[in-house]
Amino acid sequence: MGKPGTPDLPRPIASQMEETMWTKRNRRYSATAMLFVIALILSACGGATPTTAPPQPTAPPPQPTEPPQPTQPPPPTEPPEPTAAPAELSVLEWAFYEVPEMWVEFGEAHPEVEVTFNFGASNPDIYAKTLAGSGEDIVHFYTPDLQFYVDEGLIQPIDTSKITHWDEIPAGFQESCTIEGVVYCVPWDWGFSSILYRTDKVPEGIDSWAAMFDERYAGHISMYDDATSVVPVTAHMLGYDERNLTDEQLEEIKQLWIEQRDLNLFYWVDEPTLEEGFTSGDIWLAFAWNGAYYRLLSAGVPVAYADPTEGRESWTGLYAISATTENYDLALEFLDGKLGEQTATHLLVDYAYGHVNPSFYEVVEDPNLVEALALDDPSILERTNFTVPISAEERDRWVQMWAEVQAAP
Amino acid sequence: MLKRTPAAWALMSPPALALVAFFVVPLILMAAFSLRPDIRGGLFTLAWRPTLEHYRTIVEGEVYLPLLWTSVRVAFGVAFFATLLAYPVAYFLVFRARQRGPLFLTLLILPFWTSYLLRIISWKIILGSNGLINSLLEYTGLVDEPVRLLLHSRLAVIVTLVYVWLPFVALPIYAALQRINRSLLEAAAILGAPPWLSFVRVTLPLSLPGVLAGFLMVFIPTVGEYVTPLLVGGSRGRLYGNTIETYFGDGNNWPLGSAMALIMLVGVLALVAIVARLVNLRRFVE
Amino acid sequence: MANGRLSTLLGYYVLLLVLLYVPIGILFLFSVNDGVVLAFPLKGLTTHWYRDMLRNAALIEALRSSAIVAAASSVAATGLGASAAIALVRFKFRGKALFVAVALMPLLVPFLILGVALLILFAALDVQRSLWTVGVGHMIVSLPFTLLIVMSRMVGFDSNLEEAAQDLGASYAYTLRRVILPLIAPAMLAAWLVAFTVSFDEFVLASFLIGRSPTLPVYLFGQLRFANRFPQVVALAVVVMIASLGLVVLAEWLQRIGTRVSLDRRVEESGEVQERRQTVP
Repeated sequence: MGKPGTPDLPRPIASQMEETMWTKRNRRYSATAMLFVIALILSACGGATPTTAPPQPTAPPPQPTEPPQPTQPPPPTEPPEPTAAPAELSVLEWAFYEVPEMWVEFGEAHPEVEVTFNFGASNPDIYAKTLAGSGEDIVHFYTPDLQFYVDEGLIQPIDTSKITHWDEIPAGFQESCTIEGVVYCVPWDWGFSSILYRTDKVPEGIDSWAAMFDERYAGHISMYDDATSVVPVTAHMLGYDERNLTDEQLEEIKQLWIEQRDLNLFYWVDEPTLEEGFTSGDIWLAFAWNGAYYRLLSAGVPVAYADPTEGRESWTGLYAISATTENYDLALEFLDGKLGEQTATHLLVDYAYGHVNPSFYEVVEDPNLVEALALDDPSILERTNFTVPISAEERDRWVQMWAEVQAAP
Repeated sequence: MLKRTPAAWALMSPPALALVAFFVVPLILMAAFSLRPDIRGGLFTLAWRPTLEHYRTIVEGEVYLPLLWTSVRVAFGVAFFATLLAYPVAYFLVFRARQRGPLFLTLLILPFWTSYLLRIISWKIILGSNGLINSLLEYTGLVDEPVRLLLHSRLAVIVTLVYVWLPFVALPIYAALQRINRSLLEAAAILGAPPWLSFVRVTLPLSLPGVLAGFLMVFIPTVGEYVTPLLVGGSRGRLYGNTIETYFGDGNNWPLGSAMALIMLVGVLALVAIVARLVNLRRFVE
Repeated sequence: MANGRLSTLLGYYVLLLVLLYVPIGILFLFSVNDGVVLAFPLKGLTTHWYRDMLRNAALIEALRSSAIVAAASSVAATGLGASAAIALVRFKFRGKALFVAVALMPLLVPFLILGVALLILFAALDVQRSLWTVGVGHMIVSLPFTLLIVMSRMVGFDSNLEEAAQDLGASYAYTLRRVILPLIAPAMLAAWLVAFTVSFDEFVLASFLIGRSPTLPVYLFGQLRFANRFPQVVALAVVVMIASLGLVVLAEWLQRIGTRVSLDRRVEESGEVQERRQTVP
């Protein structure tokens, strides 16, 4: 190091030369390094697929007045193709639902319409995207978010007279979409939330949600990490109305779950982790959806799905039409197609999720699936607590409670 | 030293601007954000009145400050054990490995080149009830049942983090040990000091700046750690960072999250300032 | 004295090294395991995960995104850091201590906080989150490293050459380009490598600031729940590790050649210098 204070003698020429030698060599390296970087950037830029969202549709094409029937050929009054701009419909969807099998009827009736999908990862994610103005025509979200969309004016009412299958949908599902008498969405997929348990580890069976707090199962319980699932379940167990929880009631729920933490092994966020826990024997009972039940049954793991006295919980997937869409009628047809037989069959058989239209339940042959969805026992559905819409403030209150449960010492 | 001011300004402006725009301003914005009541009405409107309610929530909330203290303790433990385990390695590399030192050091650092997330996942496999450790324990008959405490616990978080940071901590200690003038050690030996004494009185004190740098290098990021607790922490292993992340994600309460972040930042900076004052860090930086 | 302690320390080093590589070994096993769940005993060995990995467009895209972000942010960080280092070491002006303090502060801020703060900044400015926003974050956190590395090189030699050049009539810009930059080039290269490394594997900032196209760590995190695609990701990580091992070996080898070359020339030069000294009265 050059130290201040030493006399400024010219350094030995040899070391001076060595320095220039070193710099020449390193200039070569720097050059190669820069070339490497440039090559990397160029190779990365060239051929990169565009990831921006496709342009939004401008003018809607003229619509046929008849709604398309699932098995008939497309109606003869098709709009002229070559000169008109291709019709487009965009959907804000969850992963795996973009495949054509999930909207068969609409795809067959309107092959000229290009349906594009943007994806969200969770309810809050989809809500955030819609709020930020991502602009899709159709949004798919799950209970209990409906109230948020209505309050913020993000969606518009559904004209149920144009939905041919509307009357086939059970009242409970219809009500999930109705706020103050106005229908704002079309329900589509649904499932149960109940306690899934290993029959060999819990031979006495489970008949109440209180089992989640039972010390006999300490270290083997897993709860879903979601405040909007936690609060209704606990409220029903305690006999409270989750739409009108007082501060004391919420505090009571919070304390219950803080104590439960010592019994809980982990909070699951995705089903593969949960299923792995069951398979390995770490988890004996958990708050779970019927999909996990079905998959574990099919894999031969000895599990059962509880029918608690307080009733199972249920969640529903809702399709809504954006308030700013220009393709209202086309969107309506898309939603109506979702309720059709072919789509229902695919949803039930391929994905093991419930479809809201019971007229198609007989396509399910797999006994495990019948068992998982309780398709042969409609009384279970009648005793089930459907998720009710809540306001955004209420949801935030619950989330803060849950965050504090997890943060507690 | 040259005094060409225009050139100096030309050289200093881009970095200074970048720092102000992308470091100082965001932190100030975050502080301002923490005074908002909520994020309703969009993220950047001016129609709100400052409130201290989030700070009140944190201070009176009974969970936030204890969680912060827990995170600080966990971070301290991780940094302490990582430094403790890394010191003998650095010593070995400098004083025993000699020429092969850089090579051995590279071998040590190499795991650092694998993805951080994957290394955490691999620990899930090692610590799980069907994992490496438990299989070994059951095979040798030491336990009848898998030890569940190994995974989904605060212990798992600490072990994983020590493992992740260990190679990194060795670096500054290595650098500091290398800078020690060997003639000092020779002098100690000539004066009759046994090896352990010359270590305690000469080597150790001279290497302390490197030890401290390594310690802080692990401690500071770990206070805000949330990924490892998420993956291996289970219900009891969550740290302060997890709660902040919740409020910025599903929790949808950016102001409260910002307040939490600000408190943590102030805490960390205060801690570092105290330590720096105690050790006169400037000596090391120069 | 030496033997006893040598073997203890050596043993300790070897033990630690082995322990450090066990998880790596597990990952490697995972990438060649014929099955989706890693459980002992292994079912069979296969290389099809590596083939699947190459065909997984999303994975390759994420790798590409990571490379772009790392390259861009490291170049920016190196440029800014070098620029500041030169000015700090060679010039006199007020506010030096303040600048250094602020420049080094990102080291003291956990990434979570920085991610959150930048998120707020971009939301306030209505800037869409994207690879660019991630790049900005990475540039800021790399800046302390690049600054320190180039600064330590700058103090390593005095300003003789620069002053000589300026005395001979060169402008400062010329001096900068032809004298200073070549001298600090190796340090800039080192700084660039550090910045690249920091950015490539960085997860926290990326997860907060990413837009639609994920970087590799963010993509990886999203794949954790899909057990059947997980081994491909592990295969990629193994490839990255082997590639970096290769780079390190290459750098070592090049450096060894360079030292040998310069040593040979040095011997030659000093021979010439001896002769010239003898001829000067």
